[in-house]
Amino acid sequence: MPDSRTGVVVIGGGSTGAGVLRDLTMRGIDAMLLEKGDLASGTTGRSHGLLHSGGRYCVNDLAAAIECVEEGRILRRIARTTIEDTGGYFVSVSEADEAWEPRFVEGCGKSGITCERISVEEARRREPALSKQVRTVFWLPEDGHLDPFYLVMGNVESARRRGAQVRTYTEVTGFLKTGNRVTGVQTRDTMTGEQTTIACEAVINATGAWAGFVARLLDVEVKVVPVKGVMVVLSHRVAHATINRCHKPGDGDIIVPALSVAILGTTAVKVPHPEVLPIEWDEVRHMIEEGSLMADGVSTARAMRAYAGVRPLYDLGAEAEGREMSRNFAVIDHEQRDGIAGFTSIVGGKVTTYRLMAERVTDLVARRLGVTTACTTADVPLNDRDDDLDQLRHRPAQLGVPKPHGDDLSLQPMVCECELVRPQDVEPWFQDPAVRTLEDIRRRTRAGMGPCQAAVCSYRLAGRLITSRSLEGPAATRAMADFLETRWRGVRQVFWGSQLRQAQVTAGLHLELFNLDRQLMLEKEPAGTPEAVGAQR
Amino acid sequence: MKFDVAVVGSGLTALVAARALQKSGRQPVLIWPGLSSLYFVYATIDVLGYADATSTEPVERPDDGVASLIARDPSHPYARAGLPALREGTALLLDWLREAGFRWQGSLGENYLLPTAIGTPKPSCLVPDSMAAGDLRRPDPIVLCGFQGYEDFSPELATSNLSRSWGGAGRSVRAIRVLLPGFEPGRLFTSIDVARALEDATLRREVASRIQQQVPEDGVRIGMPAVLGLTHDADVHQRFQDEVGHPVFEIPTLPPSVLGLRLFDRLRKHLQETGVEMIWAAPAHAAEVADGRCRRIVLKSAGREQPIDARAYVLALEDAVDGAMRAGVHAVLDPFFHQVLARSAVPTERTDESPFKPQPFAKVGYAVSDRLQPIGNDGRPLAGNVFVAGGSIAGYDPVAQKSRGGLAIATGYRAATEAMAA
Amino acid sequence: MIIEERELVSDTVEEEASVEACTKCTACNTVCPVARSTEIFRGPKFLGPESERYRSQPEAAVTAGLDLCSGCKLCEVTCPSQVTIQEYIRRAQNKGAQEKGRTLRDWVLGHTRLLSRFGSLTAPLANFGNRNPLVRWLMEQVLGIHRKRPLPRYQWLTFERWFKRRPHPAQARRTVAYFYGCWVNYNERRLGEQLVAILERNDIDVIVPKQQCCGIPAVVNANMDLARKYGSENVRRLSGLPANVDIIASSTSCGLMLKHDYSHLLSIPGAEQVGARVYDICEYLWMLHEAGELNLEFEPVPTRLLYHAPCHLKSHGIGYPAMRLLRLIPGVQLEEVDEGCCGISGTFGVKVEKYDLSMKIGSRLFAAVKAAGSDAVLADCETCRMQVEHGAGARSAHPIDILARAYGHG
Repeated sequence: MPDSRTGVVVIGGGSTGAGVLRDLTMRGIDAMLLEKGDLASGTTGRSHGLLHSGGRYCVNDLAAAIECVEEGRILRRIARTTIEDTGGYFVSVSEADEAWEPRFVEGCGKSGITCERISVEEARRREPALSKQVRTVFWLPEDGHLDPFYLVMGNVESARRRGAQVRTYTEVTGFLKTGNRVTGVQTRDTMTGEQTTIACEAVINATGAWAGFVARLLDVEVKVVPVKGVMVVLSHRVAHATINRCHKPGDGDIIVPALSVAILGTTAVKVPHPEVLPIEWDEVRHMIEEGSLMADGVSTARAMRAYAGVRPLYDLGAEAEGREMSRNFAVIDHEQRDGIAGFTSIVGGKVTTYRLMAERVTDLVARRLGVTTACTTADVPLNDRDDDLDQLRHRPAQLGVPKPHGDDLSLQPMVCECELVRPQDVEPWFQDPAVRTLEDIRRRTRAGMGPCQAAVCSYRLAGRLITSRSLEGPAATRAMADFLETRWRGVRQVFWGSQLRQAQVTAGLHLELFNLDRQLMLEKEPAGTPEAVGAQR
Repeated sequence: MKFDVAVVGSGLTALVAARALQKSGRQPVLIWPGLSSLYFVYATIDVLGYADATSTEPVERPDDGVASLIARDPSHPYARAGLPALREGTALLLDWLREAGFRWQGSLGENYLLPTAIGTPKPSCLVPDSMAAGDLRRPDPIVLCGFQGYEDFSPELATSNLSRSWGGAGRSVRAIRVLLPGFEPGRLFTSIDVARALEDATLRREVASRIQQQVPEDGVRIGMPAVLGLTHDADVHQRFQDEVGHPVFEIPTLPPSVLGLRLFDRLRKHLQETGVEMIWAAPAHAAEVADGRCRRIVLKSAGREQPIDARAYVLALEDAVDGAMRAGVHAVLDPFFHQVLARSAVPTERTDESPFKPQPFAKVGYAVSDRLQPIGNDGRPLAGNVFVAGGSIAGYDPVAQKSRGGLAIATGYRAATEAMAA
Repeated sequence: MIIEERELVSDTVEEEASVEACTKCTACNTVCPVARSTEIFRGPKFLGPESERYRSQPEAAVTAGLDLCSGCKLCEVTCPSQVTIQEYIRRAQNKGAQEKGRTLRDWVLGHTRLLSRFGSLTAPLANFGNRNPLVRWLMEQVLGIHRKRPLPRYQWLTFERWFKRRPHPAQARRTVAYFYGCWVNYNERRLGEQLVAILERNDIDVIVPKQQCCGIPAVVNANMDLARKYGSENVRRLSGLPANVDIIASSTSCGLMLKHDYSHLLSIPGAEQVGARVYDICEYLWMLHEAGELNLEFEPVPTRLLYHAPCHLKSHGIGYPAMRLLRLIPGVQLEEVDEGCCGISGTFGVKVEKYDLSMKIGSRLFAAVKAAGSDAVLADCETCRMQVEHGAGARSAHPIDILARAYGHG
């Protein structure tokens, strides 16, 4: 007897899974999303955030470039609140780069990417950050920053408003079958160990780099190659617009201004497992060096942290390496391919084209379920509203500029002062059962993503875990410590200069003033007991 | 500018050194490159909380604890400074606190055990009177009081942890919150605003009465965030305690630290009142050495570099945080003699995987002679009249053992003593 | 952080923009006199480095509450990371004024020199008006200047004109150029006279180059363009002085502008070289003393004095040379009164909506001055002197007043 029942189970809480969940519910299909970590904690949440105009693909992968152009335009319509429409520069800094330029221009033309060559003087006037080495500048107004967290949360909330359910920290451990048809999933709560079964009519495997592991539970092979990419975050924006290197796509040739920070990326290294993502010093150094070639502020900026993400490259059969494998996506109809009904995988792709990927796989699954409603995800804004007010994106403008609907932030209490996060911004998330750690709060509100890396907000949030979530002290303290630990993982990669000094201030506060190190040693309750989850259900 | 002894630094280390020099009849000048960013750690003065980085048993007698430590590890900064420097420095500091109008208590013979803002017992040696009633060696039940809309102290978090680690038969802990008149939730206010407001008798009485209403029982003591007045002489604690009708103790919490503010504001001022000049805003760097002695250090003042010629120098910066050393990507530089204090091929080498364990970086600093002079690779002092105290010393790691205050006192006092003889 | 030469990911890489060095220790909030005295000011940490991360975004403009920053710079002087907090606040305030427009009061206070010149030319009338309740009421309504704030008296004979009539000494060991500032020129010529007398007593010839307002009233009233204009003029003229002529200022704020803000805040070309030659008068005299060149023939001046160090003096990074100097004079009993900022902070405490706050900030100082009792309170900054007289009812003077008396120039 299954513990619960739904129409379609979507496995994977990244942009693809979230997009699928939304598409399903917009077509009236009952759906539940299962994610073994938190939403956007896999590939999506660790991307560099570039909203691709397609310029990076237009020479070697025309199809991918065209997809980016189309989807980019759609996203600007439906997901305005997750996008910083900064535009972007493609710059040459060497003769080799200059040799690439004609192909680049041709590729833009063929894919319909708006690309305008501007003089270096004009470029520097608009973007003083451009380095002295820059020789040629192209302006691509369709590049920008796509915030992966708001994208995923926006899709999920849209789906939830239509009745979708979401379970985080819930791993699929097996499938229920009747003959060769999948009829349900077995799950395990990764925090409590609790096991459940969920009956459903279909399962969509949207787990990206983990697609192979899920498929293996059905003895089916999905060959996804995890390719690691390292990113370095600088504590301020460095540039107004994105900056790409005008050359054959390579390491470290992207700078993305992302809200209050800048992200330098990235590398491409095959790894044996999507969760084995070591950060090598050479990668960090390389990001900074390559970034410095394009923008002046990079080498002297404060490095805030480094992190690694993983791309889910679907091996379409070629022996291509890392970046050269197609970034296109594939819908794998396992009924046709493997004789297993009720199970479909969607693999490959990138965040920018998540909606199209979701549309394709939802088309297939909906058809199989006899639902003929067409996809409308390209037409309806994520937030189901017509205005473009998004508190977070407009937050800087609220700093004292009187707006008819905005609030002056300078006299509002804040939980996270670095990132301007107020109590009313975090409190609703404490009421959401899908939120189980402070990192989850971070992903939804940006708390802890500023230069101090949760030194202060971790305490305030831990306090709220008790008052808003009825956690007990040890669990709240453990949550606070986990938060600091995760932040530390990224900070220690850039342990020099001001971030080193910051870390010492953090240690002074938590270890010396609060005695947190001894509190952790004294803990009697391990995390993972029912208490750790809290009374909220 | 010519001076007798130049003391560079802004934390307890420098203040103790300056005071020691002053009391011995010398004329120190205090060169203050800003307030030490670890000022908030000095709510109490911790000499030795734990015998080592992993023990969870608080040290009972700091003096014995330090003596054992010195015997075990002759290269430890406590060993370099020497137990006599700790003893004499502590006596000097306690006298000074009294003279400057503070009410502090404690001695090297015992550690208090005070609850932190997360409810963990922490051993501290010298404490302000306003914190003493929180001593967990006493069994009286505790009520932790926070304020509505004030997130810098969570009585619920502290209560939950404290009742587990300390609570037991008769030792109950519970949490309450009061609404501060004029400080409604939704309004921005900081510890400093509350501290200032509580200096007003009317408000203070009203808050006391609100607490009383929630604490009808006898025999309990009330723990509050440290907001009882902005200045050392505002006398808020004593009066508040009387008005509440229970013993009250302050708990240091997130910065801005009112306790740190009281301590550093007043000690600095007292030095000035008693004739010690302070040069603010002048990061010191570049020691010019000739014939084995430092002739001058250079300050970065407005407009131009300011040379300071002194007979002796005490470099008493707290940490990398206030410029004791400059950590580049691979090399850590000393700002005075421009030596490379340490090199790491990879920045992560400086760190432990866990943020809660001792960090290798703490080992970085000046190697020092047994007179606390910085020494070069050849083992000889870089300058005969320069003495190093505080976080610049290699191996200075007060974090795990909770020994920052004691190390500041011992090394600051010792460096000052040596400087007098230079 | 001392910024060293940039190298790519190397041993000495330092953050270039000081805003990056902030470690959120809130030491600045702890010392900010405004944050300590009112809840409606979020403090230098937020208005400086924290907001700065958002000001580069196209939509971000200015943070409200910037006008509550009094400009005392105690935050900068306290910051362990040497974040130039004030500079960020001023630039943001200036940008806001450029976008929203300046008020009449901003304009008037920024053009202090113009105002003073007018006051000086109409001195008897201006002085009467400044004390007339009806005129003051009108000023409060129209200009937003608090009616209770005593305004300085103007003098018809300016220092500049006075100086022009004087003969130069027949011989001199050195020559210095005196940057007298608006205050000495229009309000306290006597201070300038004393300064000249003191220097001449030390065989120093004083020259007085043509000069413009130092520009600090313009900076703190959101008009950096005007300040830059004044500053460029001053730098041009002062650069033209012979290399061996040092520049002396008797106002700590004027001196700080010349030494530091012209180059760091206003980026005026040539300002660094000029700044390196600028000295506060007491700083200069102490230097002479250390070189054995100070005339030590002092008459005793038996007097009990208090010294209040102006906030901007702390930014000079030279300590308190006035105190060292005055201790050389027999009979002088000198004590420092350190109760932080006096509260007026230049034009800040003059404004109708800031007056009460400025008096609150200075209240501890006033109480301490009254309690100590003294013949006078010394301060190197003219607005400090105004504030102490007003708030504590005490006599105030520039430290060199005592020195002048010691030289028999009463």
